Amino acid sequence: MADMRAKMSELYSLEQLSSQKSSIHALHPLSKIIATLTYIICVVSLDGYSFSQLAPFVFYPVIVIALADIPYSMIWRRALVALPFCAFAGLSNVIFVRETAFYIGSLPVSFGAISFFTIIFRTLLCVSAVLILVAVTPFAQLTAQLRRMHVPQMLISVFEMTYRYIGTLVNEAYSMSTAYKLRAGDKKGVQMKDMGSFAGQLLLRSFDRAERVYAAMKCRGYAMRDALLKPLPLKKNDYIFTAAVCLSCVLFRAVDVQQMLTDVLGRMM
Amino acid sequence: MLEIKNLFVEYPDKTSVVNDFSLTVKDGESVALVGANGAGKTSLIMALVGILPSKGEVIADEITLSKNTENDIRQKIGVVFQNPDDQLFMPTIYDDIAFGPRNMGLDEETVKRRVNDSLSRLNIAHLAEKTPLKMSGGEKRMAAIATVLAMRSPIMLMDEPTAYLDPRARRSLIRTVNSFPHTRLIATHDLLFAAETCDRTVLIKNGAVLADGKSENLLYDEKLMEDCGVEAIGVYDRGVKL
Amino acid sequence: MHMADALLSPIVGGAMCAVSAGALAYSAAKIKKDELCEKKLPIMAISGAFVFAAQMINFTIPGTGSSGHIGGGILLAAMLGGFPALLTISAVLIIQCLFFADGGLLALCCNIFNMGVIPCLFIYPLIFKPLTKKGFNAKNISLAAVIGVVVALQLGAFGVVLETLASGITQLPFGAFLLAMQPIHLAIGVVEGIVTAAVLCFVYKMRPEILNSTRSRTAISSGVNMRKIIVSLAVITVLVGGGLSLFASAYPDGLEWSMEKVAGTTELEASGEVHETAEKAQEATAFMPDYDFKDANGSGTSVAGIVGVCITFALAGGAGLIISKLKKKNKS
Repeated sequence: MADMRAKMSELYSLEQLSSQKSSIHALHPLSKIIATLTYIICVVSLDGYSFSQLAPFVFYPVIVIALADIPYSMIWRRALVALPFCAFAGLSNVIFVRETAFYIGSLPVSFGAISFFTIIFRTLLCVSAVLILVAVTPFAQLTAQLRRMHVPQMLISVFEMTYRYIGTLVNEAYSMSTAYKLRAGDKKGVQMKDMGSFAGQLLLRSFDRAERVYAAMKCRGYAMRDALLKPLPLKKNDYIFTAAVCLSCVLFRAVDVQQMLTDVLGRMM
Repeated sequence: MLEIKNLFVEYPDKTSVVNDFSLTVKDGESVALVGANGAGKTSLIMALVGILPSKGEVIADEITLSKNTENDIRQKIGVVFQNPDDQLFMPTIYDDIAFGPRNMGLDEETVKRRVNDSLSRLNIAHLAEKTPLKMSGGEKRMAAIATVLAMRSPIMLMDEPTAYLDPRARRSLIRTVNSFPHTRLIATHDLLFAAETCDRTVLIKNGAVLADGKSENLLYDEKLMEDCGVEAIGVYDRGVKL
Repeated sequence: MHMADALLSPIVGGAMCAVSAGALAYSAAKIKKDELCEKKLPIMAISGAFVFAAQMINFTIPGTGSSGHIGGGILLAAMLGGFPALLTISAVLIIQCLFFADGGLLALCCNIFNMGVIPCLFIYPLIFKPLTKKGFNAKNISLAAVIGVVVALQLGAFGVVLETLASGITQLPFGAFLLAMQPIHLAIGVVEGIVTAAVLCFVYKMRPEILNSTRSRTAISSGVNMRKIIVSLAVITVLVGGGLSLFASAYPDGLEWSMEKVAGTTELEASGEVHETAEKAQEATAFMPDYDFKDANGSGTSVAGIVGVCITFALAGGAGLIISKLKKKNKS
């Protein structure tokens, strides 16, 4: 349970990253959203065996991470969470698809193995694309952009406020579980029979709290936000970035650049 | 100027919390709103900015409170909440103070100026990049006040500002509040604080005005204070004040 | 149980996006009509945060020593009503997706469907509400919660299976996948259902008005809508899924296509069907310059391929390093 607070600071650490300054941070949120979506769709639309065609897609995360000064550890840690389920699906391919694709020396490599690595690779690429988007776009800009894109107002407000409340709630849950642990003897975690009142208490307490926080937000003009939402014009850099990312993604998707490299190498060898 | 005329506030279950309350606070005046727990102080404050529905009239600097003017009146009246944790919810204090001005649609340059002004005014510039989760009670109180200062509203309502403060933080809060140019209404049951920050005191009981007059007269009146449900300032404390 | 981008094809993802977006827009519009919507906002948000935080409170399951955690759909629906609950659980899923890379951007819509639309818009009105029709008491709240959560999780897990298999990224046979997913989620569902029941009973004991007002409010507008929702969701799925597959039919199935590419036609004595798709594949890639399938087999190519991938990675890594170095130089 000690990791509760760790998880929370992990949540808000992304926001701290997003308030840094870099050429990527300065871009229009819309251009970053479009680039991310195009990237993911292109990656995902490649089939589960095209490891080599996926390879050039590694350029986007690596370059943007460098430009925006994002620590790699942040991506790795989160990718690890996403991996198990994908690895499970990938491993099953190793078992069910045994036709040999090629040999490395005398070691046979099956199609299943290729697909296993492809799935892992896809996972890493998709995970980094999403995390990069959030790490270089301040939360307020992100929600403002969603509003401009006419995502239902109610959904954005709930999203925004849930995000804010998590901090309060986790702190509350943390002190409650500490108090519980101090009196629980050597038991690990909350007992299931106590879970109802433990979680229920936490919930009801938070309800009142939530209304007060919301009142405080309204007192400082939260409700006016919509009316004041100004259009944010795209600048030259935004167009360049979007075009560069989207075109290269589509190129890598349509033309197997990696295969061409392989062919060249093959002829040389 | 803040004018409250015949204000009534009811909870959804029809219990009445504010009952025919009337009060006028003149420009630059500082008024203490003193009453026991449950006397209706917080509900009154929430009603003045339209968070709680009310009947009656509230006029702040010529704006009359109604469904359509809620947002305008919230620019005129700043509220410092009882619990600073309710007010601080952004990742850093800077963002928290900027929250109000940003909602007002100001450009980033102006927002920055306002934030820095508020911070330096309260001598807490060093807190700008800190997160509220890791701050002391006193620091959080100052930060919460800074969020309201940045709104530049002419009227300020404070709800139990000395709650969660140690004596030293409380002392510095008294100095700070006294330096404000705002029209102030301060709800509290900390009578010494009321005596040091407000010339005028209004006693509230069961949501209605019990007495209204000079702080030095009311706050030391043991019988009146007993009736109001709070303990009058004792002889010993009086010595401290002088 | 989060669906992941890596296991998803754009067609399935696109179709699910259309469905979930439709369900969300419908819910948002529905709530807007409710006058209490603004008042409900903080309660919705805090409940969302609660579900998020509650997932971090590990509780011990008696007799096993392992730990479980709270899901959310049914719990939220019982407290807030179906439509607000859908928005709330979606907000939680969006946060998990964006900040913890749980699932992914494209898979988000699948997750919203599996964990939001199913419990909030189907299980809640079709199972939870009828079971508590005669008013609440500890017994029927518990029964409704356990059954509701179990069924919702089973359907959700089934959704994951269908979405994954329809995407065709994994070759796991349907039966085996089902066997792997459903029993686990049955166990999880029972535990989760019991805890959900306990929380709801506690809330009912302390603040009965929360559950009661939700039930009475949603009771007014139900019945006819249900059918409308199901039909429109189905129509959207078919339209988008169908539309996207038209585009995609030019591309053959992943496995066959890559066998073609890596090994050439000779290695697999292909059935007519495979052969056909393979030919299609060649047509589809005919614009690629100097690209000869027949030549591209044997170990020579594989070594070249591996070296090539390494070169690409090295180039990317180098580019990243140089940029970082340049940035540091500029700063100092």
